[in-house]
Amino acid sequence: MLVMARSSLVAVVCSLVGALIIGGCSTVPATTSAGDSSVDQSSAVAGATAASVTATSDSGAVTTGLPAATAYPLTIDNCGTKVTFTAPPKRVLAIKSTSIEMLLALGLKDRIIGVAFPDGPYSPKWAPSLELPLISDKVPGEEATLAMNPDLVYAGWESNVSADGAGDRASLAAAGVATFVSPAACQEAKYQPHPLTWDDIFSEITQMGEIFDVPAAAATLVAAQRAQLIAVKRDSRRLTALWYSSGSKTPYVGAGIGSPQLVLNAVGLTNIAADVPMTWSSLSWEAVIAADPDVIVLVDSSWGSTKKKIAQLEGNPATATLTAVRNHRYLVVPFPAGEAGVRSVEAVQTLAAQLGKLTMP
Amino acid sequence: MTTRLTEPDARGSVRPAAARPARSYRSMGIGGALVAVLAASLVLAVTIGPAQIGVGAVWQSIAAHLGLGTSTLPLTEDAIVWNLRLPRALVAAFVGAALALCGVVMQAVTRNPLADPYLLGLSSGASVGAVSVIVLGWAVALPLAAFGGSLAALALTVVLAGAFGAAYTLSPSRIILAGIAVSAAFSALTSVVIFWSTTGDSFREILGWLLGSIAGATWASVAIVGVAFLVVGVPLMLGANVLDAFAFGDDDARALGVNVARARWTLLAATALLTGAAVAVSGAIGFVGLIVPHAVRMVTGHHNRALLPLSALVGAILLTWADTLARTAFDPRELPVGIVTALIGAPVFAVLLVRAKRLT
Repeated sequence: MLVMARSSLVAVVCSLVGALIIGGCSTVPATTSAGDSSVDQSSAVAGATAASVTATSDSGAVTTGLPAATAYPLTIDNCGTKVTFTAPPKRVLAIKSTSIEMLLALGLKDRIIGVAFPDGPYSPKWAPSLELPLISDKVPGEEATLAMNPDLVYAGWESNVSADGAGDRASLAAAGVATFVSPAACQEAKYQPHPLTWDDIFSEITQMGEIFDVPAAAATLVAAQRAQLIAVKRDSRRLTALWYSSGSKTPYVGAGIGSPQLVLNAVGLTNIAADVPMTWSSLSWEAVIAADPDVIVLVDSSWGSTKKKIAQLEGNPATATLTAVRNHRYLVVPFPAGEAGVRSVEAVQTLAAQLGKLTMP
Repeated sequence: MTTRLTEPDARGSVRPAAARPARSYRSMGIGGALVAVLAASLVLAVTIGPAQIGVGAVWQSIAAHLGLGTSTLPLTEDAIVWNLRLPRALVAAFVGAALALCGVVMQAVTRNPLADPYLLGLSSGASVGAVSVIVLGWAVALPLAAFGGSLAALALTVVLAGAFGAAYTLSPSRIILAGIAVSAAFSALTSVVIFWSTTGDSFREILGWLLGSIAGATWASVAIVGVAFLVVGVPLMLGANVLDAFAFGDDDARALGVNVARARWTLLAATALLTGAAVAVSGAIGFVGLIVPHAVRMVTGHHNRALLPLSALVGAILLTWADTLARTAFDPRELPVGIVTALIGAPVFAVLLVRAKRLT
């Protein structure tokens, strides 16, 4: 009986920990390794011209000039869940920065009835003076979610729309609330992009344009972002990089198939964790030191500030020997821009600009 | 020193100690062998890791740091050996020894075979302290906070078990039940801190404290747990006679000349201090304190003079290898070592339970 009590205790802690891991973000290993950077870049180029002049409606008919209006009811397959929209959503609860900023970027601020779990400051590009109704710093519960009477919960992570978060997707659907998860964050093998490509990033924008019946805004945004991406000058010095997201005892880093890999490729940096077939992953300090990256990308957040990370790197006698640390070769990216979404191109731009200023011996 | 004619066994009965001298020599033999195994384990553990560094170069580097010759390794590889692997192996050994020692002492003092720092809430108390200061950003105070949390949990457990007042008899089952209650409450507190404070991926930092991890061990960690072991652990190992006295029950212990209340408090406070030091550098690692004393007892019997040092040695060896596995099994990724000890510990414990049943 005593043993039972002990093991149930352990089980409680473990399930809590498990929920947190799932909530964390992609930890599901994929089968393929890192994407080839040249493919990513060329597909961005190829798509740029198409998207800038035309957009396709869901029926597949190509229209020139004005994109076609969405025909409702619209049914989509989102991370394996069928979601049907009978009209453009008007009361949206957006969870996490990626979904909040997607709506802002598409000019859909007036559809937002609440935001939750933001990862940091919004980009000033679409948020010059922003008052969004913040429901919670964390993920709200199902009752609180339903009490707001949203017609769509737009989530950045799958775990946001689970029984431990804003509510199970089926349960919310039964209550008449549609759910949409950023497709880049899909966890199931069939739906998880591996590796993530720029087409994945841009197709979410196009899909939101379709759901909200604002295809023109989406097409304009995609065209602008493709153009910005092409304008970025890739670094040709064959430098290696560590994408240091968080953690001190064991660093949590950008691995081979997700947003960090995509962004590093676009900048022209080689990810030292490219062989780990995950979006993000823990990595031993020993592996980091053995790889001795030329530069370190620091993901800036309120809980893992650049200052804290640099203090950690310089304070530990082992990491202090890293070439990048001894030469202060740090690049900084804001946490919300580090996740796949409308700020991914911004991440590429800011890293490329910082990298351009770095002089190597 | 009291000369005793009998020694207690697991079921509290008493049998003649006729075989004692033979057993004593045997224990010394086992002890010598374990010292050799521990030394070999440490020597081997520092040569294993994700970075490909030759065995010779590893030892050249360590010798150079000890003032013997010069290392040919590049700066970064030298740092891997001297600042990552070696402190980590030493911390693993000290923490393993400390936890196993705490397990022996707690099982003897509470006369309950299930007692260990994890079950009596000491580890969860220390974790609350540690996690709180991490969240508040006062990482400097971490060892103190861990010790404070550990001591607070111990005090609560003992008070709940109705054990305050000098001569009060401590019931073995009450203290375990109290420990479970305190452990649950402190685990819940840690969870609250986590749910309350974590944003984005910051929970990963705290995950290590919950699961137990030796990643990130530095020479400062070695100093914390090493000094605690020398100052608290070594004297504990010499207190075997007092522990043996507890096995007869409080009244008999008193008759043997032991000041029961003072001895109990001193011993438990010492384990709290040692647990606090271990948790401060490694988080709450489970099963070592529970399993190791039982496993050693099956070989050496129940007298604490052999049990204490042998458990410490086995604990050190076990955790050294568990951590080596944790950092290399999924290279270049890492597992928190607490997962490894639980994966090894749970089946071992199950086997122990089955065997114990057969013997009864």
